[in-house]
Amino acid sequence: MSATRVLTGIPASPGIVVGRARVVSDFGDLQATFRLLYTDRERQAEVRRFKEAVEQAQADLSRLRDRVAAEFPEHTHLLELHLLILTDQMLHDEPLRLIREENLNAEWALHRAYERVRELFSRIEDPYIRGRIQDVESVYRRLMGILIGQSPRRLIPTGDKVILVARDLSPAETTQMAGSGVVGFITERGGRTSHTAILAQSFEIPAVVGVDNAIKEIAPGEELILDGLSGRIILNPDQGVLERYRRRQAEFAAFREEVTTNAAEPATTPDGFATRVMANIELPEEVHLVGRYGADGVGLYRTEFLFLRLRHLPTEEELFEDYRKVVASLAPRLVTIRTLDIGGDKFLHRNDYVPEMNPALGLRAIRFCLRERDIFRRQLRAILRASAYGRVRVMFPLISSVQEVREAKALIEEVKGELRREGHPFDEEMPVGAMIEVPAAVTLCQMLAPEVDFFSIGTNDLIQYALAIDRGNKQVAAMYQPLHPAVLRMVLQVVTAAGVSGVPVAMCGEMAGDPLHLPILLGLGVAELSMNPLAIPVIKRVIRSITLAEAQAMASRVLEMVSVEEINDFANLFLKERFPEIYRFGSALAGI
Amino acid sequence: MQEKSYLVEREVWVENRLGIHARPASQILNLARQFEAEILLEKDGSVANARELLSVLALDCPQGTRLVVRAKGADARDAAHAMVQLFARKFGET
Repeated sequence: MSATRVLTGIPASPGIVVGRARVVSDFGDLQATFRLLYTDRERQAEVRRFKEAVEQAQADLSRLRDRVAAEFPEHTHLLELHLLILTDQMLHDEPLRLIREENLNAEWALHRAYERVRELFSRIEDPYIRGRIQDVESVYRRLMGILIGQSPRRLIPTGDKVILVARDLSPAETTQMAGSGVVGFITERGGRTSHTAILAQSFEIPAVVGVDNAIKEIAPGEELILDGLSGRIILNPDQGVLERYRRRQAEFAAFREEVTTNAAEPATTPDGFATRVMANIELPEEVHLVGRYGADGVGLYRTEFLFLRLRHLPTEEELFEDYRKVVASLAPRLVTIRTLDIGGDKFLHRNDYVPEMNPALGLRAIRFCLRERDIFRRQLRAILRASAYGRVRVMFPLISSVQEVREAKALIEEVKGELRREGHPFDEEMPVGAMIEVPAAVTLCQMLAPEVDFFSIGTNDLIQYALAIDRGNKQVAAMYQPLHPAVLRMVLQVVTAAGVSGVPVAMCGEMAGDPLHLPILLGLGVAELSMNPLAIPVIKRVIRSITLAEAQAMASRVLEMVSVEEINDFANLFLKERFPEIYRFGSALAGI
Repeated sequence: MQEKSYLVEREVWVENRLGIHARPASQILNLARQFEAEILLEKDGSVANARELLSVLALDCPQGTRLVVRAKGADARDAAHAMVQLFARKFGET
């Protein structure tokens, strides 16, 4: 009996499952054999074998599609596509011809046909279209797996409680897991905000990603516990550990069930302090999570995705269509659009934009937009035009001076004039906000307040700049502390200054979605919080159970404390005593 | 009795943002299957049969590509017309 071992990775989708590992190694293992056929009978048998394999793949895919369609109709298109590829001339007729005319066995015929498709696709210039080779490969692997008989259903193993272990999983493969025997997955690559992770959350399949050497470390068939809450993988657990996790699993399920009840209702404290709990979104797929987890709107719509995905600079129409879709599908809920928050080196292929030595302090966000006004105007026009289809507000990232806000607002006014002349409808009163994420903006917020309709504190950047900590640097990552006295004082300073001018203060960033921080933030006067959609039910539940008076008392006590350790202990103790369930599980849902 | 066969050619432009990726290619295929006529798409001398998904993809048609739709058969006129419409609708995309 081998010993219990623990691997750790990044929790990508919450939940705990116990199962047996199914290690999906790379295609190298599925070697096609080569054999020549000599007689008509052999050829006929081989044709039949190939056709049967196609039929089986077709049956598997159709069954899968029906299962996925029942629960997640928006995710069936990849499976439909795979069904079409399966009977395509190049991957179906061509291998049959090779068997009949060139006397090749089915595996080698398929292999040759696939290599030709791959060769053909490698010459496609458009990266998006070229990328479809992934789907061809997926179908090829499925078919080859059936022919070789090695593992008839490679990526959707049946049987109970399979935990998939792979180097990487494409969104298509992740889709195939819905409704299959797969109860969880582990990958070596990927991050928490990757497409695959978001799909896993949407299917509610627990997942841990970014696990170094998972394929080497985990033996096929090995029993393991996958803890998508903490990112831990426990291999070969003993009875005691198993039981402990089974209990934790049941408790988490009950917890999740309970917190999501009434999630869509507004969150008001028992003494009547009304808050708004909003969602952070980035991908089009995430729009449905807003409703599912009961968000009161979108507090941060990141707009970089389209700029990064397209091979060209997006046109106004492309931007407008994306924004309009999100805004219209969420109306009448408020959608807060953050203007471009990256630098030119990320998407402009020009010599004057090369990767910077220190991008966090470089030409990005509002600085870049004010330099490249054509791009900025284009985005502002698209945002304004989308505002005619629902409720929109816009905010500028990385503001560090009053002048930047004025320049950006002047551009908005210019663009409004153009739109009026062109007869495009838009919301004349669209609120404009400044993100407070540079310490200079905190210091200046009294002067910034009269210039804007709202503030949104971006905690990820603010903490990084205030404490001079790069979270990606393992040497100092532990010093990244949201409850650091300096950070809390900055929040208080912003809320106070804004209160004088009557400007509402929102907060987006991971800090806003952590139940540990919530009472203190409420007590400091933050009335709007925006977070990973999964965290919303938990946060609403806490808000509904503590009074503003209690939160304020906590905040004033915390403001007297001089060390972050003291504050952390205090916040932890409170959460542990008042919300033991949330203390155990809540942070995992916050996606931290 | 032999039905009369037509040869119809029409010019189309790829107007949707992402070009002919998987979804538009599937739509082209599904549409082509509804007609008897053989439908070819031609781009700068390269030709793909509209019924073959991977050939259509491999034609490499990003936004702004000009194609010639060539339909041949009894219902060629209807087929070409329907294909032109599909391109004009931008495959329901943007």
